Amino acid sequence: MEFLTAYLTANNIIFFILAAIILVFGFLSVTTTKILRAATYLFFVLFAIAGLYLLLTYEFIAAVQLSVYAGGIVVLLVFAILLVKNLGEETEKVSCQKKLVSAIAAISGVVISLVTLFGFGFQNNESADELTANVNMETIGHTLMGVEKYQYLLPFEAASVFLLACIIGSVVVATNLKKEDKK
Amino acid sequence: MIETLKDYYSGFAIMNQELTLVLVLIFVLLADLFLGEKGKKNLQFAAIGSFALATISGFTVSFGGSQEAFAGMYVTSDMHVLVKNILNIGTLLVFFFAHYWNKNENRNQSGEFYFLTLSTLLGMYLMVSSGNFILFYIGLETASIPMAALVAFNKKNRDSAEAAAKYILTAAFSSGVMLFGISLIYGSCGSLYFDEVANAFQGLPVQILAMVFFMAGMGFKISLVPFHLWTADTYQGAPTSVTAYLSVMSKGAAAFTFLCILFKAFHNYPEIWQNILWWIIVVTITVGNLFAIRQKNLKRFLAFSSISQAGYIMLGVISGSPLGMTSTVYYIFIYLFTNLAAFGIISNIENQTGKVGMDDYNGLYGTNPKSAFIMTLAMFSLGGIPPFAGFFSKFFIFAAAAEQGQYLLVFIALLNTIISLYYYLLVVKAMFINKSENPIPTIKSDNMSIIGLGICTIGILILGFISPIYEYMTSISFGM
Amino acid sequence: MNVPVEFYLVLSTLLFFIGVYGFIVRKNLIGILMSIELILNAVNINFVVFNRFLFPEKLEGYMYGLFVIIVAAAETAVAIAIIINVYRNMKNIDVDSIKELKN
Repeated sequence: MEFLTAYLTANNIIFFILAAIILVFGFLSVTTTKILRAATYLFFVLFAIAGLYLLLTYEFIAAVQLSVYAGGIVVLLVFAILLVKNLGEETEKVSCQKKLVSAIAAISGVVISLVTLFGFGFQNNESADELTANVNMETIGHTLMGVEKYQYLLPFEAASVFLLACIIGSVVVATNLKKEDKK
Repeated sequence: MIETLKDYYSGFAIMNQELTLVLVLIFVLLADLFLGEKGKKNLQFAAIGSFALATISGFTVSFGGSQEAFAGMYVTSDMHVLVKNILNIGTLLVFFFAHYWNKNENRNQSGEFYFLTLSTLLGMYLMVSSGNFILFYIGLETASIPMAALVAFNKKNRDSAEAAAKYILTAAFSSGVMLFGISLIYGSCGSLYFDEVANAFQGLPVQILAMVFFMAGMGFKISLVPFHLWTADTYQGAPTSVTAYLSVMSKGAAAFTFLCILFKAFHNYPEIWQNILWWIIVVTITVGNLFAIRQKNLKRFLAFSSISQAGYIMLGVISGSPLGMTSTVYYIFIYLFTNLAAFGIISNIENQTGKVGMDDYNGLYGTNPKSAFIMTLAMFSLGGIPPFAGFFSKFFIFAAAAEQGQYLLVFIALLNTIISLYYYLLVVKAMFINKSENPIPTIKSDNMSIIGLGICTIGILILGFISPIYEYMTSISFGM
Repeated sequence: MNVPVEFYLVLSTLLFFIGVYGFIVRKNLIGILMSIELILNAVNINFVVFNRFLFPEKLEGYMYGLFVIIVAAAETAVAIAIIINVYRNMKNIDVDSIKELKN
């Protein structure tokens, strides 16, 4: 019992609630037959993960998660679904055999990974809370734009080229050729 | 300490090749903007010309030893410079072969073709030179996601769309798997810098698991069996120039990066990844060969042939020695000329007649003797028949593996080389011996692809005999 | 007292393999894309949690998480463009309908 009460703080209860939301809706979003519902469940998962980051006191990445993932990617997915599918249409049925085989593969993957992960014995760093309290926007900005060790100017610059290439690529692929031909 | 802006940006000073490529990228972007509809022809010359200059300037870069920038984020040495130069040569050859396609079918999007190709090349540069998993990841994604857009460039063609969908979904999935491995490496080693990972790596079960995930992700990129399922469909559906780019540059850069990471980050426990690689190599070479025999479409045939070639490239990686690195880079260098020669002929014929079937090539010698001759050279070199360059590269890579005592592996690879001779000769037989009712009519190649094919032919014929190349590679290579 | 890091690892591992299961089972291309998002999010939880509880001195895992989000966004945009292109060509985005390439 002492073990239990030690963990029953407000923070930890929130963690368990968020974890339950993530797992349940994550599972629903890969199993539901209606694709728009899957997108909605995915939205819940992403939202709960942002909550998890807030719980870890990493506010900036929580905000990025909310604005980019929940706000951007899910909206993009919903637009795509509405463009290509009739609302509420069911996806094709998957054979039970395939489901079973993939489920067995996934579960054995989980078991193997967890057994090895627990075997390593990860230990929380004792002073983690104090050290993390120092993470503010200034630190993040310096880490992202600095050139010293553990600072990431070069990947930051590379990401800009990457994003430009992706924008151009998706515009090229998504442009409708028929309109171009009419011109 | 960082005092002035000059100190701040001094890290960029040793990134000569990257900066030159970025300049070319901006130039292509602006040229595409200002030349407009009528200047499409000039745009192609501007892009190819500026990139040719960048390629030449790449040969002037030399460091004399290993160098770091951004406190270990970016690593370079003469070997890295050489690999980037090799990638440059390959890209330039692809541009030569793609010229005709860009002039006609792909006219509206030729500027985008050059921009996207060059940005994936920049991604490969960064991936090759990375000293940290973050830069490696960004480089890898820059090299693969715009590539998916390139694969989808034939927008009216269903196959192209399908190939792109398969490519991007498997690429995204494989990078997800690889990231899971990297996250476990980070969790168990406490760093993302390769040298610090190497110090903290102890061969614990969780680290082995992480390495398996990481190797699975890289296996997708290099298309090793059992992660090769996307390869054939994507190669067949993509525009031929893009397939050529994908099969040589993408694979070569990923293989060299894989080698660098294994040598740098995991060198303390080589037996772990060598055991995994051993099985992967055996399965890759064998499965690639067995499937290649059955193919009727030449692009699909070359896809399986390239899977089996990837297995041979891994033979150099498994040895973990300087000789292994030399022979890997040498193999990629020779493979580039050989494979691009084959793709050059295929894209020439496909552009003008639309035929890619093996049966369509029956009697090619009667109508297009020069094309048939170059294709034969390419097939002989891929199969490793002396005295063509492919023989020397295979010989060195076998020597590197045998030097480390991998005799059984070399024996299996040798047996597979004999099987592969059979199917490479099938193509030669189709062109020279089989008779056809309506052979491919005599085609007139455009000047650009003639230049490209000429360079490839010279490469296949004489590169094997120029020993200074191999000696230079030996002098700058490094082991674990 | 904080939740041990292993609880977070159980969460991320389960989420990762839920994504893998979805990737294999799903037939709708957008459904597959969603499974990939789940995988990337599981990885992100891993990076951020390792950073927070094991190595809080440096922001390495944190930055990796940020870059993964950036890349995932771009990747989704390109993938959706390609999926729309597939739809335009075939009026369908199920995996079964794009199996034509296999001879």
